Amino acid sequence: MKHDATPENAKSVKVSAGNDRRSFMLAGLGLAGGAAAGSMGLLADAKAGSNLPPDVPIWTKSLGSGVVAHPYGQPSRYEAQVERRTVDWLTADRMASISFTPLADLKGIITPSGLVFERYHSGLPEIDPGQHRLMIHGMVKQPLLLTMDDLMRMPSVSVIRFLECPANGGMEWRGAQMTGVQFTHGMLACCEWTGVLLSTLLEEVGFSRDASWILAEGADGAHMSRSIPMEKALDDTLVVYAQNGEALRPEQGYPLRLINPGWEGNTCIKWLRRLEIGDKPWYQREETSKYTDLMPDGKAREFTFVQECNSVITSPSPEKPLKGKGKYWIEGLAWSGRGKIKHVDVSLDGGISWREAGITSIVLPRALTRFGLEFDWDGSPALLQSRAVDETGYVQPTYQQLRDVRGTNSIYHKNAIHTWNLQPGGTVANVQLS
Amino acid sequence: MYNCPDSITDSQGRVGSVSLFKLAAAFVVLFLLTSGIVNATDRTGYYGLGTPASPEEIRGWDIDIRPDGKGLPEGQGSVEDGEFLYEQQCAECHGSFGEGVGRFPVLAGGEGTLTDSRPSKTIGSYWAHTSTLWDYIRRTMPFTAPESLTSDEVYAVTAYVLYLNDLIEDDFVLSRDNFTSIELPNNLNFIPDQRPDVANGRCMQDCKDPASIRIVSSVMPVVRAVATPVIDNRAAQAAGEKIYGQYCSLCHKSGMGGAPIVGEVSDWQDREAGGMVALKKRAIDGYTGQYGFMPPKGGFTHLTDQEIEEVVEYMVDSSQ
Ligand code: HEC
Ligand code: HEC
Repeated sequence: MKHDATPENAKSVKVSAGNDRRSFMLAGLGLAGGAAAGSMGLLADAKAGSNLPPDVPIWTKSLGSGVVAHPYGQPSRYEAQVERRTVDWLTADRMASISFTPLADLKGIITPSGLVFERYHSGLPEIDPGQHRLMIHGMVKQPLLLTMDDLMRMPSVSVIRFLECPANGGMEWRGAQMTGVQFTHGMLACCEWTGVLLSTLLEEVGFSRDASWILAEGADGAHMSRSIPMEKALDDTLVVYAQNGEALRPEQGYPLRLINPGWEGNTCIKWLRRLEIGDKPWYQREETSKYTDLMPDGKAREFTFVQECNSVITSPSPEKPLKGKGKYWIEGLAWSGRGKIKHVDVSLDGGISWREAGITSIVLPRALTRFGLEFDWDGSPALLQSRAVDETGYVQPTYQQLRDVRGTNSIYHKNAIHTWNLQPGGTVANVQLS
Repeated sequence: MYNCPDSITDSQGRVGSVSLFKLAAAFVVLFLLTSGIVNATDRTGYYGLGTPASPEEIRGWDIDIRPDGKGLPEGQGSVEDGEFLYEQQCAECHGSFGEGVGRFPVLAGGEGTLTDSRPSKTIGSYWAHTSTLWDYIRRTMPFTAPESLTSDEVYAVTAYVLYLNDLIEDDFVLSRDNFTSIELPNNLNFIPDQRPDVANGRCMQDCKDPASIRIVSSVMPVVRAVATPVIDNRAAQAAGEKIYGQYCSLCHKSGMGGAPIVGEVSDWQDREAGGMVALKKRAIDGYTGQYGFMPPKGGFTHLTDQEIEEVVEYMVDSSQ
């Protein structure tokens, strides 16, 4: 990382400036700035308020760094705590593991590409796009190999859709366990995705009208694979090469991935290399051993694709405690794999009474939707909850309702109303209520 | 120039006018073929993009097996051969009896636990199809070397995992012909999605009896010190640490497969005596030592030599 104003910078200013007197003054300024920036913490402690009115802040009195100091920009260094995190005890190693999106620090509905949660099964492959191929074969007239260039020449579509791992929140089936919203709900992101409709590719290869399933497979060591029903593929599945306006990030499947809007993130195969058209599901490991929902009677549901309506308050949250009485903005996210969000209600008393929150973002189907509500905190404890309703009329359920039907061993698809316990000091704890 | 029958000249040495036309046409076709603008095969697609995938190209990538056996290659493997392979290539993570080492998956046992409060979901107790096991092992196991087993080896090791689950006898030889005869016990217990399966209402007032509300479980937040930004001039060391955590810790944290444990001084003393250069070289090239097999670059060959050198520095520094 580069210093904004170092003595070295100051020297170069001196050399490049023609007028001696002027360059001397510039150099002086630069030096002062450099010394101060280097020990900013110290200065701030020693002389509190030196960057606050009536004093003029150090950054206002010095020359900043020039263009292309960071050819590919990066967040302010004061945002360093906003990052993906993992929970080591969840998995045996980091190659078949997960990290979480820092939801509490995000605004609006778009997740910056570098903060989208990661999920790998054989680590992160680094793929040369020039040597990447998408193979489409099986029940088709013409099996094809497509290059990235070929795909870019086809009609392109962009949509904003959420992406959620079906295990999001799965650690909480038996009781509150995670320390913050990053870990209770952070297997979640929402991006603009750009690519080609899978239906376009299916027409191109001349798929058989007797075909009913498609196997999608990745080019990573896991050869990650899932069976996708033809109905979905022809509806809105996308073969995607870009995310939030630039090429996919490696973590998100560079150079090519599948997006099945509103469905289990696991079906959105990353590093997509192969699509096989067939007439039966393949029963891959990821649709039998995993991603099936075990019920209390020992039966297990299979192909539970849709991510049902869900919501969470991101502030206040364990990561965003309150600092004294007064007015605050409660905000959070709601989403549904079945369509648009219709309402979000917020309770401050653990679900006895509810108030409708405002929707503060654009409302798109199968996308994150932001809600907000004014809150005048009198300093007393509160039990904060949010409850979303989607356009099908489905109302986000309680833990009790889910457990009555599914028990506590189904791992996936936990979309229960979540509770934060706001304590008198402003601390927020993750709790579950009877 | 071209060995094309249409370009034969007549006895006077002239090229006939019709032949000339055909010659030109032949050139155009040849040009289009070699330049890839049209393909020899009939194309069905509207966009005409991409190239036809040949049966041979498809064979190299088409690795999936269906429950009805579609996709299974020729071949066979015995429980006995499987035991040997399993001990060599699987047991370090999954345990000699499939019991799972540490947090690595359990592969055997757990029958009758699906309705327990802590079910054990294994191939014998939970999985639905034998084909899934064959498919998955070929697809991605052993973990550090996906697609490294031959078809016969996959048959053998699949047979051994089935044997560990008491599903076949120890003299069984698994092959494409008898494959579909083996059914997994939990096969019939999978049911379709039944959601939406709950119906909450949108109550706004007096939705609960206040006296009924109790906090039944609670987790306090972790107080994270707000990071004061530091200018990072230990970039190389940090890079070493990061790569270690991402890749090498898989074996070097626990000592898996005989790897020297990072942080255990005694595991490294003798090794360091040989000098850093030799140590780095063996990490890059891989070797079989007294304790086990260190794959070239730990199996992550996309790492550069320099990255490996940085990690080795980090590993040795952390084991003083
Ligand atoms: C270096 C450790 C390691 C070795 C060696 C290894 N595995 Fe695995 N195995 C794993 C990990 C990690 C997973 C889980 C991967 C995931 O969840 O994506 C796994 C998953 C599996 C599963 C699926 C388990 C389930 O319940 O879904 C099977 C079956 C399996 N391995 C078989 C094998 C066989 C057979 C071998 C030897 C040829 C082998 N493994 C070698 C680490 C290993
Ligand atoms: C699959 C397991 C595995 C992985 C992954 C792995 N190692 Fe090793 N490594 C071993 C084993 C086993 C040995 C000990 C072999 C012996 O001496 O018998 C070893 C030994 C070493 C040694 C000591 C060499 C010597 O000369 O004594 C170094 C250095 C080393 N590994 C570096 C690395 C680095 C760097 C990585 C990551 C890029 C890595 N290893 C990843 C298994 C592994």
